[in-house]
Amino acid sequence: MNSLATLTLAQEGFPAAMSHLTLAHYLIVSAIMFVIGLVGFLTRRNLIIMFLCTELMFQAAGLALVAFGRYHMDFSGQTFVIFILTVAAAEAAMALALVVLLFRRKESLSAEEWKEMQG
Amino acid sequence: MLHNLLASPVFAALAQHGDAAAHAPEAHATTAVLGAMRHAPSYFLLIALLPFLTFVLSGLCAAFRVKSKLPAWLTVASLAGSFLLTLKLFLTYFTGTDTAAVHVYGFEWLSFAFQNAGEKAFVSNFAFYIDSLTTLWMLFVTGLATLIALYSSEYMSADLGSGYNRYFAAFNLFVFSMSCLVMADNLLLLFLGWEGVGLCSYLLIGYFYKRPAAVAAAKKAFIMNRIGDLGLLTAIFTVFVVFGTVEYEKLFPMIAAGVDGAGNPISGGWVVKLIPLLLVMGAFGKSAQLFLYTWLPDAMEGPTPVSALIHAATMVTAGVFLIARMYPLFMADPSHTVLSVVAWGGAITALFAATIGMAYYDIKRVMGYSTVSQLGYMFAGLGVLGSAGGVFHVFTHAFFKATLFLCCGAVMHGFAGQLDLRKLSGVMKMKGWLICGLAMVVGCLNLAGFPFTAGFFSKDMILAQAFSTPCTLSGEHASGIAGAPFIGWILLLTAGMTAYYTFRVFFRVFLGPKEFEPGDEVHGHDDHAHDGHAHDGHGHDHGHAPAPAGHEHGKDHHGSHGDFHPHAPGWAMNFVMATCALLSLAAVAVYFIHTPGSHAHGGWVATMVGNSPAHVEAPHGGTFLGMDPHKVMYWVSGVVGGIGIMLAAVFQLFGRKHAATAPADKLFGVIPGLKSLHTAANSKWYVDEIYDFLIVRPLWVLSHIFHLIDQYIVDGIVNLFGAIPRLAGKAIRPLQSGETHGYALGMAGGLAVLLVIVIALSL
Amino acid sequence: MIVDGRAVRPHRWKQRNHRSTLSPRRTACLYDSPGRLRSSIDRPLGIHVGQIIHPFIFFGLLVLGGLGVCLALPRRGTTPQVVGALIAGIVGGLLMLFLGVKAGTGNLPNIYFYVFSAVGLGGALRVITHPRPVYAALYFILTVLASAGLFLLLSAEFMAFALVIVYAGAILITYLFVIMLATQAPEEGQEEVLAEYDTAAREPIAATVVGFVLLGALTVMMFRGLGSGEGMKSAMHVTQPDALLADVPRKVENVLRNNGILKEGEAVVAIGRAEGTILIQGADGVERTIPRNEWPENLPITNAELLGFNLLRDHPGTIEIAGVILLMAMLGAVVLSRKQVQLDDEAKATHLTALAKGVVSRDPIMDSPLELVNPVGAGPADKSLQGTGAEGGQA
Repeated sequence: MNSLATLTLAQEGFPAAMSHLTLAHYLIVSAIMFVIGLVGFLTRRNLIIMFLCTELMFQAAGLALVAFGRYHMDFSGQTFVIFILTVAAAEAAMALALVVLLFRRKESLSAEEWKEMQG
Repeated sequence: MLHNLLASPVFAALAQHGDAAAHAPEAHATTAVLGAMRHAPSYFLLIALLPFLTFVLSGLCAAFRVKSKLPAWLTVASLAGSFLLTLKLFLTYFTGTDTAAVHVYGFEWLSFAFQNAGEKAFVSNFAFYIDSLTTLWMLFVTGLATLIALYSSEYMSADLGSGYNRYFAAFNLFVFSMSCLVMADNLLLLFLGWEGVGLCSYLLIGYFYKRPAAVAAAKKAFIMNRIGDLGLLTAIFTVFVVFGTVEYEKLFPMIAAGVDGAGNPISGGWVVKLIPLLLVMGAFGKSAQLFLYTWLPDAMEGPTPVSALIHAATMVTAGVFLIARMYPLFMADPSHTVLSVVAWGGAITALFAATIGMAYYDIKRVMGYSTVSQLGYMFAGLGVLGSAGGVFHVFTHAFFKATLFLCCGAVMHGFAGQLDLRKLSGVMKMKGWLICGLAMVVGCLNLAGFPFTAGFFSKDMILAQAFSTPCTLSGEHASGIAGAPFIGWILLLTAGMTAYYTFRVFFRVFLGPKEFEPGDEVHGHDDHAHDGHAHDGHGHDHGHAPAPAGHEHGKDHHGSHGDFHPHAPGWAMNFVMATCALLSLAAVAVYFIHTPGSHAHGGWVATMVGNSPAHVEAPHGGTFLGMDPHKVMYWVSGVVGGIGIMLAAVFQLFGRKHAATAPADKLFGVIPGLKSLHTAANSKWYVDEIYDFLIVRPLWVLSHIFHLIDQYIVDGIVNLFGAIPRLAGKAIRPLQSGETHGYALGMAGGLAVLLVIVIALSL
Repeated sequence: MIVDGRAVRPHRWKQRNHRSTLSPRRTACLYDSPGRLRSSIDRPLGIHVGQIIHPFIFFGLLVLGGLGVCLALPRRGTTPQVVGALIAGIVGGLLMLFLGVKAGTGNLPNIYFYVFSAVGLGGALRVITHPRPVYAALYFILTVLASAGLFLLLSAEFMAFALVIVYAGAILITYLFVIMLATQAPEEGQEEVLAEYDTAAREPIAATVVGFVLLGALTVMMFRGLGSGEGMKSAMHVTQPDALLADVPRKVENVLRNNGILKEGEAVVAIGRAEGTILIQGADGVERTIPRNEWPENLPITNAELLGFNLLRDHPGTIEIAGVILLMAMLGAVVLSRKQVQLDDEAKATHLTALAKGVVSRDPIMDSPLELVNPVGAGPADKSLQGTGAEGGQA
């Protein structure tokens, strides 16, 4: 009960003194992190780093999810981060296996080596 | 229907016209048309439907690959049934004093009511309007079709199993279409039949579709007929626009009353000139007249029975029938402008075709040109206001020309496709060819107009009328034909030429020394043509001949005709030839049948014509060298015909030692220029080449110009539209590089652009 | 609730919370327990970004940041990477400054946010700019750790530690292994040469423009506000932590017993789902309740328990799907990375012959059987080979 009460208070008092972090803070950080990941994905040519950049984007999404979950007092946000973790792990397993396979074929990690797989 | 007719304003106008009409020349016709319309039982529809049924059955035979003569016997039986029904129709309705048209109703075919046109409706029923003219036509159509079907059953036996069924299917379809054409109770059904016979003509000319010449001839016939059909179709449209109906029973009273559908007088207007002119265009196309005749000689590529029936006796007379059928409309113009066109067109065609016939060597083509020539005669007869003569000539011509063709076909059949009169001689003296020769003599005498043959009388009627019809150009007579006596002179000259070329064929082929050279269709090759007879037939007829089966046998004989034995016609062909010859002889009798109340001149046929709307009171006034043409023309034409035969005998028969040469050839040395004249005539006066130069070449050039326009301008525009996406595709193709980055960039950029657009829209 | 800057108190909450009017500045945490990390925020508040930072300044910073990132990307030859990194860092610092000026830095926990954010974003920038994959991966770990810190600030303790364990501990280690597998080690005495594809970024300008336009669009959405959230609130399932205690009676009993509140012979009779009161019945049949403020500090539902409830109660199907995904990924990884051994028929036949002779080649790829039966050399070598074979056979 207590916690709920304080929450309400915080909301009420916010405009008077903006001494709190807001959802916007987290969302901005999340958006910047996402865009950095995106730029990295678009620019880097190393397959592994490209996958790292996707992981960065996952991180950003997870951060936004948790922040929203907190904002709405709903734990589904955190639950979805678990799924992000799941997907990230699965992706890492599969993608890295693929990377190893591709590296064996061409002795290179460049994504541009696989141009001929046009589709 | 009668109630409607009586209630119609047309009839009211007609009733007012009645008193005046009583004294008018067309009084008889008016009575004939307006006499109470009689109705015949529906089973008379079988006249047309029996051949249609057999057409279906023959088609089924083809589907089941019947290899017997079943379709032939079915055809003969059904056509005989049609003939008997026609005969019954004639005996029931047209032997008494009441000669009004008989109506046989089938079913409603087309009926359109126009919303904004008041009571104006387009009605076209499948029904027959049968008057004496129709009956006359149907009698010889069905009769000859029966005989020729019988002849074909033997003639076509080489194609048993392959084309036999197809042949008889087309044959039956032809008879059905011709019946529709002749008996139709409206112009649209006539047009259906008209196109139907054109189609069958195409199918049968192109029967030997593996021969390029036959296919070309079929296409030629089809296309040239289309030119004429355009005229006919336009005429039908105009008739409907002017009269508001295409049904004869409503049309003829209006024409007789001289009013159109709205009750306005038509006489002197454009209607009576334009519609007949368009009809003439159709008729000239179908009947191979002036400018449109070249398809008919080529049509001889088809099997000979087809030439006999379709391209000599029946289909080509459809044009004559059309004009005879619509004769009241032609007569509605008091100045006879279009009839003058008909007369001159016919006369010129007659002369022109005769000149070619004199020089041609292919006997079947000679007969083809003679058909063109005789059709010209018929048109000239109609044109000079002698409808009875014209129709009589159709009637007699049907029999004797069929006879001639059948005889030519027998020769062709027997001599492996040999048609060159320079390579055949003395056929009549060979074993088994007597009947054929005698039939040929009868046919030739008829065609030549030898005295007291049917052809003599029918030709005489036309000639006499041509001379007795006054000439409008002289200004003395208002209702004559422009330049009528000249038409008579042309026809008289043609008559002499006809006699010459007819007997030229007979003397060269049937008389003289026995000599022959077989044609190139000795035995059945895969692409063998109509008259190449089958091996088994050959072996059967000539048991002594070594007859190993197969192609080798054919090759043995090919080119060395020492072993070749002419293939004399069998019983069916002989029977039919004899029957046709007898019929063409007997046709003379109708000239002397005079029933009470019939016309003095022309006998039964003239009576039949006179009882129909085609009736015309033949004008008098013209003279033949100051004498009454009707009295002297017998002698004149007889003498002319005799001279022609004599000349033929002198130049082609007497003193001829070989098949290839004739005494006439010596004339080339005597008369300067004759040789080149002969060559020109033999080359058909280069008409095909002239057409090629005047029409085909310019059209070809034009089509190439259009092709270029199409290729570079039209296609250019189209390609321009095609080039835009192609260039766009070329521009963005690098995006499809296969590089993950490119795709990812596109995706992210697209998302960014989309978001920006959404934000911009929601501002 | 903030609607147009005006406080609106939801009706049912007002009724329920009697002590709610104390201080607007009062900081609170979700669980009123002194031993835990107190989060400076209770909930991030839905507010316009425009209330925190002026849009023009923000977009100006975005442009500058984009420029910085663009410059910081690796290039061949002399690169302005340092300049770019500096610009990006300055822009990030300015951004944090602007964010902090409005939100206030008076509370210490707020500082953590700025620190974690700065570290996370800096690490992220370094991930995409560092030419060496190993370092990129290590910087990524840094980012993960900073994210975990932010998660802690958001009271998502379980997720924070899960992130560290799963991401930094497992996934990233996998990455490092793969990097080592897929990178050719330099020969001895040679300097490591970076691969060409690592040293040069591809289309940095276009990518940066696209990325920052996207960022601008995303933040414009924030400038436009998040709406009142009123409708959303009523529709959403809001978990009330104390009510969940009714679902874990054994935990309540254990905690109470361990803390000595539950005496011998007493038992928890009922756990009020609505009021969060706990009814205890003594051995003598006397019932008493334990009010909320007397609860031991580890009695309330923890974050992990809440998450567990949410996961297993609200999303039971998805967790199955997640399991299937992981299983498939494992299978896929095994199938994909398995070394394919393919022998053509001839090689197989020779290998079999060699086996029959006793010359067992353990690795058909490494030791080609062709070499075994067709050695380069003359008779003696051949003999010796046969001898060896015979010996092998005897052995």
